[in-house]
Amino acid sequence: MARLVVEGLCKGWDFPVIDDLSITVEEGEFLVIVGPSGIGKTTLLRLVAGLESPDRGRILVGDRDVTRVPPYRRNVAMTFESYALYPHLTVARNIASPLQARGLPAAEIRRRVEEVARLLRIDTLLERKPGEISGGQKQRTALGRTLVADPQVFLLDEPISHLDARIRHELRSQFHTLEDLRRVATVYVTHDYAEALSLGDRIAVMGNGGRLAQIGSARELFEQPATLFVAEHLGQPTINALEAELVDVDGRLEAHVGSLRLPVASSRRDALARVGERRATRRVTIGLRPQHLRPADELPQGATLEGRVDIFEALGSTGVMIVDVGGVALTALTRPERTFDPGEMVTLAWDPAALHFFDPSDGRNLLL
Amino acid sequence: MRQAIVRGDPSTYPDWFDGKRRQRPLIVSRWVPIAMVGLPVAVLLAIVIYPTVWMFYHSLRDTNITGLFTGNHAYIGFANYATVLGSERFQDSLIHLLQYLSFGAVLQVILGTVLALILYEVVRSNLWRTVILILVVLPMMLPPSIVGVLWRFLLTPSNGAVNQALLDLGLISAHIEWFNAGISLWSIIIADVWNWTALPFLIVYSGRVSLPPAVYEAARVDGAGQWKVVRRITLPMLKEVIAIAFILRFTDAFKFVDLVYVMTSGGPAQSSELPTYIAFQRGIREFAIGEAAAYAIIIFAISAVIVTLFLQYMKRVMRAQGLA
Repeated sequence: MARLVVEGLCKGWDFPVIDDLSITVEEGEFLVIVGPSGIGKTTLLRLVAGLESPDRGRILVGDRDVTRVPPYRRNVAMTFESYALYPHLTVARNIASPLQARGLPAAEIRRRVEEVARLLRIDTLLERKPGEISGGQKQRTALGRTLVADPQVFLLDEPISHLDARIRHELRSQFHTLEDLRRVATVYVTHDYAEALSLGDRIAVMGNGGRLAQIGSARELFEQPATLFVAEHLGQPTINALEAELVDVDGRLEAHVGSLRLPVASSRRDALARVGERRATRRVTIGLRPQHLRPADELPQGATLEGRVDIFEALGSTGVMIVDVGGVALTALTRPERTFDPGEMVTLAWDPAALHFFDPSDGRNLLL
Repeated sequence: MRQAIVRGDPSTYPDWFDGKRRQRPLIVSRWVPIAMVGLPVAVLLAIVIYPTVWMFYHSLRDTNITGLFTGNHAYIGFANYATVLGSERFQDSLIHLLQYLSFGAVLQVILGTVLALILYEVVRSNLWRTVILILVVLPMMLPPSIVGVLWRFLLTPSNGAVNQALLDLGLISAHIEWFNAGISLWSIIIADVWNWTALPFLIVYSGRVSLPPAVYEAARVDGAGQWKVVRRITLPMLKEVIAIAFILRFTDAFKFVDLVYVMTSGGPAQSSELPTYIAFQRGIREFAIGEAAAYAIIIFAISAVIVTLFLQYMKRVMRAQGLA
């Protein structure tokens, strides 16, 4: 067993896709890499698997430098977004393929394939071919093929993105409970932030330019996003981001957005003042999560705003409304049982302590 | 409470749907579909069904060329079939056909497959791939009559290029008599392989190009060696494609006349005759219409049986992979 270390990895074709990226995934850690499409997540996995060779940087599995080692000798296993099952082989023989490539005895292969198939609940399908099973079953087969290889590093590329919601949920819970996955270093790529928050011991957000925007626990990323990019990609509905100007009013600090006057919590004032000394401008981008902006009666001690409901969506477990507050459209959440009509006036309350401040030029969180 | 909509029951449809059902139909008159199906059926009847029936009719009669035009021919039962099946000439030609199939057609498919996979796996630059592809396909673009003449020149025993090259390389010490009995059929096979290897090559190459790359990456991570990948993944996945290439070359063998006619005329002494060539010879050259018709029907029957077996096999393979 071993950890995975990626050091200063660079890779590009027509343009740089991955730029000076370093990550360490500890043994037994489940790291989820999340980011929008085309950002280089899959490329990173392919580099670690050895399907591409990096332009620069090193990859270590345990203490062994595998940067120039062919894929099958790296002791990594990878599932592919398209499952990549062999269409002419049965489920059993698909799962067996890494063991067969190593020349294990047939009885041993049989035993391990059956064990893995039972674990993934596909043991009744072993004699079927990929064309005869469903998407979820194909994914389990692909997963079985990686599990049976008993690698030191697991690489999972969007394993459940193409399945329907119910099966996705079922497989997601399976990722939580699979001992084999939890024992070794696992890198799991997805574009679905909810999957990331749910599964990851740590989450790495990949941002533009092939760099890591932030890495940390779900809570850290959610509560202290390093950049506006991270804040916008984690959380549903998307965070309210507004261009604002910081203004001193009678010794208190306010963020002005158009005609809106938003008081800044005193806890943030000193930190912002220190940052302000280094900055020439007082322009900031403020971020307020919809979770922290609710009808006033749901958040009694918050600061208040008056607005008119533009759109209301009842989503079952929560209600989402878009409210026009002095010409600014803000997304707010409500308790699920409530209903608002478009055009209705509403008093919203928000928590000044939950306000984020970002640099408008590069998106960095000013308070980190 | 609104009535539930039942598909196919217009009385349950809501009001707003009324106008929709009266949309102008795509087919203006009921004669249009009849004409659209009828025309191809008529053409098929005229150029396939009618001649086949005509041929079967004459295969049961003692028709010759004068009888054909004067209408003077009589029913003789299966006498023509007996003549054909009983003749040594036909039996020999079946052996020739077997030889042609098992070396000509099979060799073409094997060679084409090997070339295609080498081109795909070994040559990496797209430019070179295209250049080689064109070069390999060139012979296929020549009409067989030209190919026949070309190879007659190349294989001329006394001063042909092939013998000269073999002599210069020291592989033979005396001229090979390419058009003697026992060898002339091999000469035809060589020319045909040169002419037609490109077809299985093209089919297999395009099949290989369309195989999913992720499967190969999975194999790389699994650690399967390159030869193992070809044997265990590529060839099984190309099974149907190769079978199709084989069927195409196989069915062509049954109508293979041109090279035989141009290169050896079936000779010497009928030693390179194929069944189709005899049918052609007996019917068009010697005017034994009835007997030639019997030949054609027998060839048709043999090929129909074999192709049916092939299609059955294909169906089984496709079903096993969930494709059909």
